[in-house]
Amino acid sequence: MKGLFGLSLTLVALMITIPAAGMVFAETDEPGEYLDRRVLIWNLFFRMMTVAFTVGAVVSGTIIWQIWRFRESHPKAKPTPYEGTDW
Amino acid sequence: MAGHSNWPEWIYIGIVVALMTWVGAEAWEVERLIEHVPADAEIIKVTGQQWFWTFEHEDGTKEIGELHVEAGKAYKFEVTATDVIHSFNIHDYVVLIDAIPGRVNTVWFAPDEPGVHDIQCREYCGLIHYNMRGTLYVEEP
Amino acid sequence: MVLELQKPRPIWQIMFSTHHTDVGLLYLIMSLGFLFLGGALALAIRAELFLPGAQIIGDAMTFNRIFTVHGTTLIFLFIIPFASAVGNYFVPIMVRYKDMAYPKLNAIAFWMIPPAGALIWLGFADFTWYATPPYSIISAPGPAADMWIFGLKILGISSVLGAINFVVTILKCKHPDMSIGQVPLLAWSFLSSSLIILVAIPTFAAALLMLLTDRLGVSGFFNPAMGGDPIAYAHLFWFTFHPEVYVLVIPAIGMMYEIIPRFSRRPIYSYGSGVFAFVLLAIVGFSSWAHHMYATGMSFTEKTVFMVGTLAAVPASAMHVFNFIATMWNGRIRFSTPMMWAVGGIALFFSAGAGGVVNSAMPLDFTTHDTYWVVGHFHLFVMGTIAFGSIGYLYYMFPYVTGRMYNEAMGKIHFILSFVGTVLVFFTQHVLGLYGMPRRIFDYPPIPEWIAMNQIASIGAMIIGVSMAIFLANMIYSSGRGEPANTDDPFGVGGKYYYPFEAKNPSH
Repeated sequence: MKGLFGLSLTLVALMITIPAAGMVFAETDEPGEYLDRRVLIWNLFFRMMTVAFTVGAVVSGTIIWQIWRFRESHPKAKPTPYEGTDW
Repeated sequence: MAGHSNWPEWIYIGIVVALMTWVGAEAWEVERLIEHVPADAEIIKVTGQQWFWTFEHEDGTKEIGELHVEAGKAYKFEVTATDVIHSFNIHDYVVLIDAIPGRVNTVWFAPDEPGVHDIQCREYCGLIHYNMRGTLYVEEP
Repeated sequence: MVLELQKPRPIWQIMFSTHHTDVGLLYLIMSLGFLFLGGALALAIRAELFLPGAQIIGDAMTFNRIFTVHGTTLIFLFIIPFASAVGNYFVPIMVRYKDMAYPKLNAIAFWMIPPAGALIWLGFADFTWYATPPYSIISAPGPAADMWIFGLKILGISSVLGAINFVVTILKCKHPDMSIGQVPLLAWSFLSSSLIILVAIPTFAAALLMLLTDRLGVSGFFNPAMGGDPIAYAHLFWFTFHPEVYVLVIPAIGMMYEIIPRFSRRPIYSYGSGVFAFVLLAIVGFSSWAHHMYATGMSFTEKTVFMVGTLAAVPASAMHVFNFIATMWNGRIRFSTPMMWAVGGIALFFSAGAGGVVNSAMPLDFTTHDTYWVVGHFHLFVMGTIAFGSIGYLYYMFPYVTGRMYNEAMGKIHFILSFVGTVLVFFTQHVLGLYGMPRRIFDYPPIPEWIAMNQIASIGAMIIGVSMAIFLANMIYSSGRGEPANTDDPFGVGGKYYYPFEAKNPSH
């Protein structure tokens, strides 16, 4: 429990410091062509959707497979070690 | 928990944290880029009130419900409101900022080709909120 | 167990009782009543938006009132009282105490809710559940707005009293043989959500009073015409109501923690990580409130801080999903109705969470803020996760409460229709938001994509409506005439009622 807590605190701290540090170092001026905010924002959106749908496919695929494999009517279903005990 | 190996969960948490860090870093970078307003952006003052938009160009001309801009130029909107909170939105150009009485919020965009786009209010502002609409005309330079 | 309806009693004995199961029953029936009232309003909204132009609701003002009361009702008069119902029934049993710590306070907390509900419904305010000033100060018609404010004030007090009761019951009244590390996860979920309530609600209570005096014209806290700042209200509101989102979702997760091990015939994979994730969420939940306010002109630094705060809450929620999947792994799962609801709820919980990550990424706020994307996103939480967990748990506790069995086939049809309907309505609404349709609009221009997607969403809503009618019929019929249940093992999964504190997990 202590280790878990410590690690998560470290991770939270990292998640705060990394962008903050980047902010300090990346504060440069960029003249020239106007940015197209549509392109930037929608590209970001589609990158995130790619990842979200990949992760979603893995998670929901796992759940659907579990529902199929571990249902009690599955031919290979066998009692869990806890059945019949007083847990 | 003692004596009970939990390594799959640790790997899983690591993946989640890595993903979130990636999301944060990407979003941070894009936000940084689009918040940088070009120095030569023309200022358009936008005022929201129940239930229409007023636009004032740099040269003093005013428009109500319609906004005419030129393609290829950058524009910076200075958005405020006179009565209640509205939200100035040109969805086709992903422009959105709240119009708040007593505050001036800014957002900028650079239309790239001529066309006609919808302007709408995206914050609930009362009876005719649903029809607080305007039109953006992007014209040839 | 808690056999209520098998021994007929005059109704006033239940109404004036302070026993935890009686108060729980009152909470249960009242919250379900408001579920159907609020759901009827949702159907009216969807029917109105089926086509552009006025359909069944004559004017915009009525429409605005309807969505305001819809949101207020389902959040404050269904979800929260339903959680209290479950907590009242099960928390004292789980901590092995005879009743809640303060039985009279418990009954008072319940009896504050009907008058509050009456104020909200008789007033029928129009300023959205968020009551944003200056609209709510200078423009919203009274007395509806004032009645809403008083209603919410009463509900806030009721929540705080209930939360105090849960905290004391769990921490002080648990059986001396039981350590806090043996308290079941459902009780842990009530402990963490009650602690959130105690920290969060006072802020909104203050904001409500300030809103009221602003409306009376004697102060100008949020009125820019008097030098006030409407954004201050937004901060106060979301400081309460972002954590409040976790108040809603944590008990629902706790209910899934009861259902899933029971029907998988395995103990929870990791009790410790469940507790840890609840507590972590309760703490980190306070660091993300202003992600609702990116569009109000916040600085880049502020946005970054709140984006990081929001993303930090994701691992805690993800741990629950992992725990559920790992619990089901290698189980022998019986898909009775409660298990179907719980597993469906996990899948939708993931979808809602993924959408939430997208919302928190600051530039994407330009595309999603105050559009139907947001509506779809939070409805996946409140309907797809919280209502699914709650309804699953209702089926689960039904035999224990009534001593009778619900109709299993009708329960499964209810689940399948609701799941299909939820996916149709709320996934479509995400896409509708990406096409730019704002929230809270009575009418929309005839853009072909908007029309098509609104129609899909409306059809989905009608499917949910049908499923809820089946649900109502099932509950009413089965509580009176259902088959008597075997209360030792109503679902035929073997073994006694599952108490995690009695778990003998050999690998622990």
